[in-house]
Amino acid sequence: MLPLIALLIVGGMYLAVNARRAQAGRQVLVLQKEQAELERMNADLTAMLAELTSPEQMLERALSLGYRPAKPGEVEYILVEGYPGPPVFVAPRPPASSNMGEGMLSPAYTETLGEWLLRWLSWGVGGGQ
Amino acid sequence: MIDQGPSQRRIRLVLLFIAILVLAMVVQLVRVQFGPYAPAFAAIELVIAEQVEKVEPARGLIYDRDGRLLASNIPMYYLEVEVRQLTDRSQKQIAAVLSRVLVLPFEDLSAQLLRKWVDEGQFRIRLTRLISGGKRWPIVVDQIVADVLKGFLADPEAPDLSGLALVPAPKRTYPAGWLAGHVIGFVNQKGKGYFGVEGYYDDWLVGRSITVELGYIPLEARLKPDPPAGVNLVLTIDIDIQYMVESILEQAIEDTKSESGQVIVMDPRNGEILAMASWPPLDPNNYQPWLPREERLNEQVEESEEELVINPAVAGQFEPGSTFKILTMAAALDAGVVTPDEEFIDTGMIEVGGNTIRNWDGGAWGPQTMVGCIEHSLNVCLAYVASEKLGTPLFYEYLKAFGVGRLTGIDLAGEVSGQLRTPRHPDWTESDLGTNSFGQGVSLTPIQLLTAVGAVANGGVMVQPHVVRAVVGPEGVYWPKTTILGRPISAETAETLSLMLSESLGGETHFAHVDEYTLVGKTGTAQIPTEYGYDPRWTVASFVGWGPLEDPRFSVLVRLDKPESSPWGSVVAAPVFRQIVERLVVMMEIPPDQIREKWTGGG
Repeated sequence: MLPLIALLIVGGMYLAVNARRAQAGRQVLVLQKEQAELERMNADLTAMLAELTSPEQMLERALSLGYRPAKPGEVEYILVEGYPGPPVFVAPRPPASSNMGEGMLSPAYTETLGEWLLRWLSWGVGGGQ
Repeated sequence: MIDQGPSQRRIRLVLLFIAILVLAMVVQLVRVQFGPYAPAFAAIELVIAEQVEKVEPARGLIYDRDGRLLASNIPMYYLEVEVRQLTDRSQKQIAAVLSRVLVLPFEDLSAQLLRKWVDEGQFRIRLTRLISGGKRWPIVVDQIVADVLKGFLADPEAPDLSGLALVPAPKRTYPAGWLAGHVIGFVNQKGKGYFGVEGYYDDWLVGRSITVELGYIPLEARLKPDPPAGVNLVLTIDIDIQYMVESILEQAIEDTKSESGQVIVMDPRNGEILAMASWPPLDPNNYQPWLPREERLNEQVEESEEELVINPAVAGQFEPGSTFKILTMAAALDAGVVTPDEEFIDTGMIEVGGNTIRNWDGGAWGPQTMVGCIEHSLNVCLAYVASEKLGTPLFYEYLKAFGVGRLTGIDLAGEVSGQLRTPRHPDWTESDLGTNSFGQGVSLTPIQLLTAVGAVANGGVMVQPHVVRAVVGPEGVYWPKTTILGRPISAETAETLSLMLSESLGGETHFAHVDEYTLVGKTGTAQIPTEYGYDPRWTVASFVGWGPLEDPRFSVLVRLDKPESSPWGSVVAAPVFRQIVERLVVMMEIPPDQIREKWTGGG
């Protein structure tokens, strides 16, 4: 009777672990989809923002607010000692390539019960060396 | 008899229940394996097991020098149908909804949905629409339509779109529209870059796609790897200057009734292109008419005989006419065969290689200094300088040093080299020397002319023009350095010639004058060669100049093709130069001469 109960407990634990693993995997799939969707939305919004701030649009808005382009004689120039000028624009870096296929998860999350038992046994055998 | 008791009966009941469950499972297994749906189930297994996805990295972004986005990627969606999920109801409703939303024929969509794809071994199809010539093209919808369809898919009360899937695919978009379209180029539906920066840096921008196995099984889910991304580019273009230049060019085209035109604004010190405008403009968001003819057949483009020139600033060669006299005079001064004050008696004609050369007005201008020759743009004088003073070998040696007939190497796709016939050419005759001296019989692209003339503006140092300021990759930022193409003339010659051109400019045309700034420049009016000699009616009017004289910050080339209002560069192109410079000095924050002198003099 005791071995049966022990087997049931181990089986139950195995099922629980696998259920959690499946749940985590499902969550990964959902989050990946969500991430892709957010990236697409972000790209869409960035493009919209760029459109709204294009020179044509900005000039139109400035003119509607009563501004007009300055003529050469209308500009006052002041020499500021030590002023280095506006900072140079550096574009954001594109994401680095990552190969996250295999190897990013510890084998402890993916090994089967049989594999775990074999590892445990081999560790037990070799443990005394 | 043995009394089984209530516990025995309960055990049997439980066993019976378990047996029924096991039997049901066996029945389902047999049904899946051998029943009428067995092939479909097998196909699902096959699809899941073998489905791999090609992950394309996002194409690199393109910015102007101040970080304004010029090229980006937005999501578009292909419409696909998982045919095994279609029901009789959804077949009809998908066709009905799409035909109304996308204004497509219901019958065509319905026919695609009703076809027995499974019998043909296909379980997922991409919906297409009919285009010209009986060809079909995948249906692509934008984010707004996709949101509507996604709403329908998620709403049980909405039309039944079961089986319909929206498959995202990035689409290149250009937020500034037609602005700098010729410089940027475009990307076709397959993601290939054409012309401009998109074409030249296509391999860098596109990144590298990778193939990954699709993980639909939660137990096997893992993070999707990112493919090596394409680089982001920062251009030397200032989009505000670009807009200003394009607006002025458009107005000039309208005012002068010209057929086409180009303007380039460059920093002569480092070759950075600040603006490059061409008319007619290219809208990279609607690029199809600009595709090469063979490519047009592959896209949904109406066939047209018209072959448009992409970025004529680097691909449109022309005979420059009098603006070329800058190079002839630079060569003569540098070789020491003339001085600015040297006198020449203009009799109104000169014979070079049996060809009689006359001035633009057919007149004789009498005694002239070299400054006068430039000021009055005398063909006879320049032909004399080239033939009598410089001589053939030296003249062509200098032209080569100025890069005439050679690619500048600008980082834009589609540059052409222009044509220079040297004495080595079998068709060259001595008369070519005379005509070449004033810009006839030799063809250059606008960028070539501006690069060569830029050497005079930049103290004799000719730099390579370029449009990319920084290449930003995952590993870091690469700043291309200024490339020196050569030193065709000395710094002293460059200074002398600049002073001559500045002095002569006032006499040549008052249309190029900008108050409080000393500018340098030369007009050009060139005839257009045809199969039957020079066109008697049309000209190419141009102006090339730079400023301020003491510390050049910009050089500008204006070219107007076939202006109707006046054929002369001094009348139609010079005012365009002035308008541009009046705005440039403000936008580039270049103070007037007096203030700069005060600052540099420490006053």
